[in-house]
Amino acid sequence: MPGMDGQSEIERLLDEMERSLEQGLIPARIFNDPEIHRLELEWLFARAWVFVGHETEIPRPGDYCLRYIGQDPFIFVRDEAGSVRVLFNACRHRGVQVCRAERGNASHFRCVYHGWTYTNSGELVGIPAAEEAYRGFDKSAWGLLPAPHVASIHGLVFAALDPQAPPFEEFLGGMKWYLDLLFGLTEEGMEVIGEPHRWILEANWKIAADNFAGDDYHTLYLHKSMWDVNVFQVPARANMMGYHVQAGNGHTISFSMAPDPNEPGPTFWGYPPEIVARFRPDRVTPEQYELARRSRVSVGTIFPNLSFLTVPLTADPDRIPPTTFMTIRQWQPKGPDRMEIWSWALMWEGVSPEFRERSYQACMASFSPSGIFEQDDTVPWPLATRTAGTFFFGRRNEMLNYQMGLSTGTAQPVTDWPGPGVAYSPRYEEGVQRHFYRRWLEYMRAR
Amino acid sequence: MSDQHPPLYHQVVDFLMHEAALLDDGRFQEWFELLAEDIVYQIPVRTTRDREAGRGFSQQAWHMNETWGTLKTRVARLATKAAWAEDPPTRTRHFVTNIRVRPGDEENEVRVTSNVLVLRHQGDSPSAQFLSGERHDVLRRENGRWWLARRLVLLDQTTLGTHNLAIFI
Repeated sequence: MPGMDGQSEIERLLDEMERSLEQGLIPARIFNDPEIHRLELEWLFARAWVFVGHETEIPRPGDYCLRYIGQDPFIFVRDEAGSVRVLFNACRHRGVQVCRAERGNASHFRCVYHGWTYTNSGELVGIPAAEEAYRGFDKSAWGLLPAPHVASIHGLVFAALDPQAPPFEEFLGGMKWYLDLLFGLTEEGMEVIGEPHRWILEANWKIAADNFAGDDYHTLYLHKSMWDVNVFQVPARANMMGYHVQAGNGHTISFSMAPDPNEPGPTFWGYPPEIVARFRPDRVTPEQYELARRSRVSVGTIFPNLSFLTVPLTADPDRIPPTTFMTIRQWQPKGPDRMEIWSWALMWEGVSPEFRERSYQACMASFSPSGIFEQDDTVPWPLATRTAGTFFFGRRNEMLNYQMGLSTGTAQPVTDWPGPGVAYSPRYEEGVQRHFYRRWLEYMRAR
Repeated sequence: MSDQHPPLYHQVVDFLMHEAALLDDGRFQEWFELLAEDIVYQIPVRTTRDREAGRGFSQQAWHMNETWGTLKTRVARLATKAAWAEDPPTRTRHFVTNIRVRPGDEENEVRVTSNVLVLRHQGDSPSAQFLSGERHDVLRRENGRWWLARRLVLLDQTTLGTHNLAIFI
């Protein structure tokens, strides 16, 4: 509500955060506040480029999936000409969702209310009793509304709802260089395996985006049991060696890498030689290829709410070797204290069905609703959200500590980092999260 | 009905009730000992599909797709001192009903179909999380006792309304 100076409480909070962030302090309140949530839908999710789906989820003409940008429903569909479309899922007559199955194949979408019918490219082509009811009506002006901008990188499709949104490449900034080395090493690229996992967590979406932005520190304690049962081969402390990268525009990536470039541990995220043989050094620069070679684990967040993780883990340490998987996950806002997690497993196109299956198994066993890694994340995230909603702590704008690597610890800037952005090493550092929130503030304060 | 040889249906019901009690009591190692070494334990991902496209169960995506070895890892991890997802434990209640027993593919096996409702309470929340679905089990009689040899759980939810599947259904 407006104060005496005409500024709302939330505007003052965000102004204050602009200053406190430089000291590594973030007001807990932003993680559970109805007004912040409402403003995020309006100022962030309706303006930024947001992930919609992977092209391989809709390989044939007519294939579609339902997706959400913020909380707004869209149909992610391949039209008859083979183009990927992102169409708002609402009939232009009364606003009823024209598609109610979560996926399938359809040449047309028909509203159940009055039967208005649209092609899978969004054109309105059918109106019942059109002669009597709509003689002279210009159907061409009443097609399904498309997302104003759609673009893709390595099969990952994003859309922007703001007609004034910057070009996708500009939005990605330095992150493109890292996405190239993660997703672009083979000619065919990666494909999605099956349908995504979806589940509800009573936690604010930013806590998850922040965790994947480079909170490697929590693996030492929260995920201790993973080393107790031997599902990950790199020792916990050794795994903290590597780099945090603020790639620009709020995007971040964290690499687990040994200090010695010739360390005998996992290279290329632990992929076996027959898969590494598919990688084409000429598709990237030598610097990108060398980073890929040295990577044991890569994790990061594409601002605002798409994260990725690639790591070798095993579902059964006695019988199955650690197996590399790639997961992308979207933290969908469903309220100030509620998110829906969408999680996909990806694998390189053309690998053997056996490896593909083993990779899916490793992913499901560790990062999914049943994943023994991720299960433990579902405990602190709702608790932090609850704290953010309290009066004593949240409403009084108490600060959370994001100072690691800023005024504490051993992490130092890397002076000869070969890629875009700013890198720190080792990974005891929270600059990646501060980078995420700086971008978040830019969107939230751009009103 | 003789005490030593209860009718088959009663033996199956008794097995399922015992199994449910072990899960609800958090006796996961004892539960694990009910499993045949060739067990296949699956919970496919489901999506809402048009009626003509079928029931929407994925052939490729699973919430769980387990072997004896991967279930062993899960049970071992629950027994560590850092299995925070279940420490403090959530409180589950398995209700198994509508039990139908049919002959199996092997002479010593039966196919068992049932409905399962799992209520799950966490912390101080008075509201339960719900999971409901259909179980398709194979029970095998070997060495004088029954073993769970196959379980396929067909959930009713497409988006799971529980914070994780650190539990067994």
